[in-house]
Amino acid sequence: MSELIHLVTDSTADISPSDADALGVHVVPLIVRFGEQQFRDGVDIDADQFYTKLEHSDVHPTTSQPSPDAFATLYRTLLANPEDEVVGLHISAKLSGTLQSATLAAQEFDPARIHLVDTESVSGGLQLLVRAALDDIRAGDTAAVVAEKASRRRSKVTILVLLDTLTYLHRGGRIGRAQAFVGGLLNVKPLIAVRDGEVVPLARLRSRSKGIDMIVDQVRGCAPLRSLAEFHAAAAESMVDLEARLGAAFSNVTAVLGRIGPVVGAYSGPGGLGVACLGAD
Amino acid sequence: MPATKPAPELSVLREPLREIGGEQVLAGLTSALSWLEANQQEINDLNVFPVPDGDTGSNMYLTLRSAVEEARDAPTPEAADSVLAAAAHGSLMGARGNSGVILSQILRGFAQGAAQRVHLDANGVALAITEASAVAYRAVMKPTEGTILTVVRDAAAAAAAAAGTTDDIRVVLDRVVTEAHAAVERTTEQLQVLRDANVVDAGGFGLAVILEGFARSVGDTQPTAPAPALLRRSGEPTLHLPPNPGDMEATGSAVARRGAAAIAPREQGWGYCTEFLINGPGLDVESIRTELSALGESALVVGDPDLVRVHIHTGDAAGVIAAASSRGRMSKLKVEDMSAQHHDVLMRADAEEAEAEAVGTAAQERPQAPPKPIGVASVAPGEGFRDIMSSLGADSIVSGGQTMNPSIEDLLNGVRAANAERVILLPNNGNVILTAEQVDPLAEGCEVRVVPTRNLPQGISALLAFDPAANLEENVERMQTAVAAVRAVEVTHAVRDSSVNGHDIKLGDVIAVVDDVITEVGDEYVGVIDAVLKAQTEKPELVTVYRGHEVSEEDAESLVEALRGSNPGVEFELQAGGQEHYPYVLSLE
Repeated sequence: MSELIHLVTDSTADISPSDADALGVHVVPLIVRFGEQQFRDGVDIDADQFYTKLEHSDVHPTTSQPSPDAFATLYRTLLANPEDEVVGLHISAKLSGTLQSATLAAQEFDPARIHLVDTESVSGGLQLLVRAALDDIRAGDTAAVVAEKASRRRSKVTILVLLDTLTYLHRGGRIGRAQAFVGGLLNVKPLIAVRDGEVVPLARLRSRSKGIDMIVDQVRGCAPLRSLAEFHAAAAESMVDLEARLGAAFSNVTAVLGRIGPVVGAYSGPGGLGVACLGAD
Repeated sequence: MPATKPAPELSVLREPLREIGGEQVLAGLTSALSWLEANQQEINDLNVFPVPDGDTGSNMYLTLRSAVEEARDAPTPEAADSVLAAAAHGSLMGARGNSGVILSQILRGFAQGAAQRVHLDANGVALAITEASAVAYRAVMKPTEGTILTVVRDAAAAAAAAAGTTDDIRVVLDRVVTEAHAAVERTTEQLQVLRDANVVDAGGFGLAVILEGFARSVGDTQPTAPAPALLRRSGEPTLHLPPNPGDMEATGSAVARRGAAAIAPREQGWGYCTEFLINGPGLDVESIRTELSALGESALVVGDPDLVRVHIHTGDAAGVIAAASSRGRMSKLKVEDMSAQHHDVLMRADAEEAEAEAVGTAAQERPQAPPKPIGVASVAPGEGFRDIMSSLGADSIVSGGQTMNPSIEDLLNGVRAANAERVILLPNNGNVILTAEQVDPLAEGCEVRVVPTRNLPQGISALLAFDPAANLEENVERMQTAVAAVRAVEVTHAVRDSSVNGHDIKLGDVIAVVDDVITEVGDEYVGVIDAVLKAQTEKPELVTVYRGHEVSEEDAESLVEALRGSNPGVEFELQAGGQEHYPYVLSLE
């Protein structure tokens, strides 16, 4: 049996368990906490349960990176065959310490066989990079090349999120330069982007449909596209509009549809609508 | 229309006046101010639309008042050019509203035409009026006939013609005044809106009043006894004689003081408004400016090596005075406690708002911080709009709006308070745009760009589009695009009977003005607003309702409830705008 390349990511890629199984991707869960209660993202709590809890909970959820041990355990299993290698694509190191835990585990285990990439991305953006890397593995690239291609591709990822409110991002301390948008007395829908791994403000819009207009414009600016991902946080109805608009504009691009999971949802808050696109190589 | 009766000859039984110097010019200007004050209300009432409007009379009065105040401090009081140059500068700093800005340009042109002349003869006067007309026309991008511009141009033509036949300045000015009034009467026929409302142009009438006041006292070296009785002209309001010509101290401080509320209250108090002159020779204006500016805010240091005028807001008046006195002999020192002054104004404006001293604004949070690359100064009436704009990132707010137009100096102070290298200025009112456009050349060390927002909803949209990370050009473009996407509805009551756009309007009717056009008239708010919403070809997604100062929250909520019921699918948001005169302002997006 020839050597295998195992693709590892984390739960902020918002890949559903069934997709992960079908794709053959290993997902390490981050942790979401409501006070004393602690859940593994996507394992102990799914998106539906999370948003229901978010709505009813008095405490604001917090999140934490997986322990190095969680990575070490997985690497040990995956790399039982000494020929095998791991490519780990993870959430932006500016947003989470996940990559830090993975790096510690890799150093303990066997750094030469574990190729870690800071994707400077999250959610749908991270997922598109994971899916592109799977294509590379299938095409026969070596682990080092897969990791290198992923690093090069991250500049081609655009992530846009139309939020209902900045409250969650603000409370969670991940607001970055979108700080400038905080505190408005008017009801505005902030459109943010994740750029170079950080949250940056794009626009303040007075309605969701104006936000969707702007998203479509921004995505147009990224063409030609390799792939597209559309995600929502308990905003299925708005997602229908978004799908229709993007579907009409990019009928020849396959779109991954999904939900913003618990950990990312703790920052986007309910009502968030996200789009990620990956430009062609 | 009945034929215009000739104005009474001012020159009868007087010695010919062949030359005027600085004192006579000042006497003329002072008299013009008294005349303007006496007729201020009539000018205000020449309102084209039956809505509470920018007060042309008050704006012109405050502008001229600022001119006269500075003319009195002219460095060379006996020289005509010196007095006129000071008047021109004063009028520029004090200019409010479109009519005030144009008046300031008329004075600037007049001063230019009189440059290098210690005395003016009849030809010199005619030349100065001609230059006044030329400069005023140049200041307006699309000059419209039937306005103050037509009046100044016709007056200049009369002056030139008269100067060819006489060397008596009084005779020249007689003709100027007669022609100015005739031109005012013609405005009704020149502009459709004036014809519809059957009024003469307010700014043009104001200028005729100024010219008449000037003409009647220009020969004097002292303010004179009341002028002779006047003939009433057919189309104009009755002219009022000033109660006591020349008495500056009696001029209405109430209106003037409104300007003091122009900048939002500051947490640490206002400090002292300190004004004085430093007498030369050999003054280094630039280095004085640098030194004094560091000691306070809103520093205005203007002048030449012989005389420097300083106006500064400082917490350390003693320090400023010490620094200034080392530069030269000081005079006309005036130190006023601005917290007391400002508090007084607020008390008068609205007793309930006295607590406003404690309310924060974005500007006061970083009074001494280094300037940011790009900032926004925004004009807003009322506490609510002020807070909303601050919350959206406006760095400074200048109080003012529809019926309280800020002066150029107010706007300049607002720009300075924004504390940025480049400042975007949002006038948020059609009558403030021209004033705002005068600020850039006056704001030293700061590039000022005006995004010509005509109303508050446009101003809010512009602010929402602001991106502190983008450059000036990008921001101006973003803001202009955003402004085009919003529709403003201003709801008020008719201030008189009239007929506009085919609507028969009775005093007290509810009127909706959509993007400056009276669109709906009715007897209650919900019906009128509903009609506006139904008339939109593209149904708005979001309607933001800003309730005015006099509307209770409960009333506004029930209005919004009713609108929700009759406009399914439209989202409504209610905000406290706190504006005067307009019970509701709506933004349709």
